[in-house]
Amino acid sequence: MQENDETGHTVSLDYTFTPTNAFGLYFKQEENGKEILMLTPEFNTLLKRWNLPDGQGNIFNMTGAGLARYRGDNQPCLWTAFLADYESRRWFFSYEPRFVWDGDIEKSVWQRARIGVAPYLANYNDLNTWIMFQVDHHPAKHDHFVATPLIRFFYKTYLFEIGYSSNQHIMVNWTIQF
Amino acid sequence: MLHKLLPLIISLGVCSVAGADTIRATVNGMVCGFCATGIEKTFKAQPEVKTVDVDLENRLVTIHTKQGQTIDDAKIKKLLGNAGYSVVAVARQKQ
Repeated sequence: MQENDETGHTVSLDYTFTPTNAFGLYFKQEENGKEILMLTPEFNTLLKRWNLPDGQGNIFNMTGAGLARYRGDNQPCLWTAFLADYESRRWFFSYEPRFVWDGDIEKSVWQRARIGVAPYLANYNDLNTWIMFQVDHHPAKHDHFVATPLIRFFYKTYLFEIGYSSNQHIMVNWTIQF
Repeated sequence: MLHKLLPLIISLGVCSVAGADTIRATVNGMVCGFCATGIEKTFKAQPEVKTVDVDLENRLVTIHTKQGQTIDDAKIKKLLGNAGYSVVAVARQKQ
């Protein structure tokens, strides 16, 4: 998975070793403030899932611990995030608070919310399209909200998102499942 | 000659009686094709399974087994549960 948005650039590669747990490597280059590099192993787990007739709700935790680098200085770092989402074939909602401790470099709390609507109900073998609206709040970077309208496409195991934020950053995200 | 052919005739007869199964599982939580690919992958890896179809609109996973083979309800529920979904009902049709 790769994410390029107003917070920076993220690459992660994960292996799902049980139905609810994945382990991988997380790399982030933060931008729009201190340009911090983070490299950590990460552990992702599904804490709770609700399977409903017309929808699904989930709570995930993602946690990583490793190294952060800023202006040649290496510091231990730790981050954890909780992602709560609900989706039906028509609607999508998510909220994600993220807590980051980059040693002496920075401590920050960051939150992201998304709402999405599918303009048509696609079936399993169709190209799925979502119109989404994302809001980010990252007080350590800038104490205001950043809005990003985006379009999500997915087909089978390929997901692609493109958007443009209110602080004029292009968002390009992609995920491939193997 | 006949006693040599008899076992073959009997076994061909048994094969024609023991056909394939078409199993339709109604599943809760199956709303996203990106996530449901795990279902297809899981069932295709089972030796009894010939084909699997996912229908998001009707919340159905349709499994066609190989000739003379079947897959029981408990295994279907376990596989779908491991893929992250809840089975509401399983219906079977012999072919």
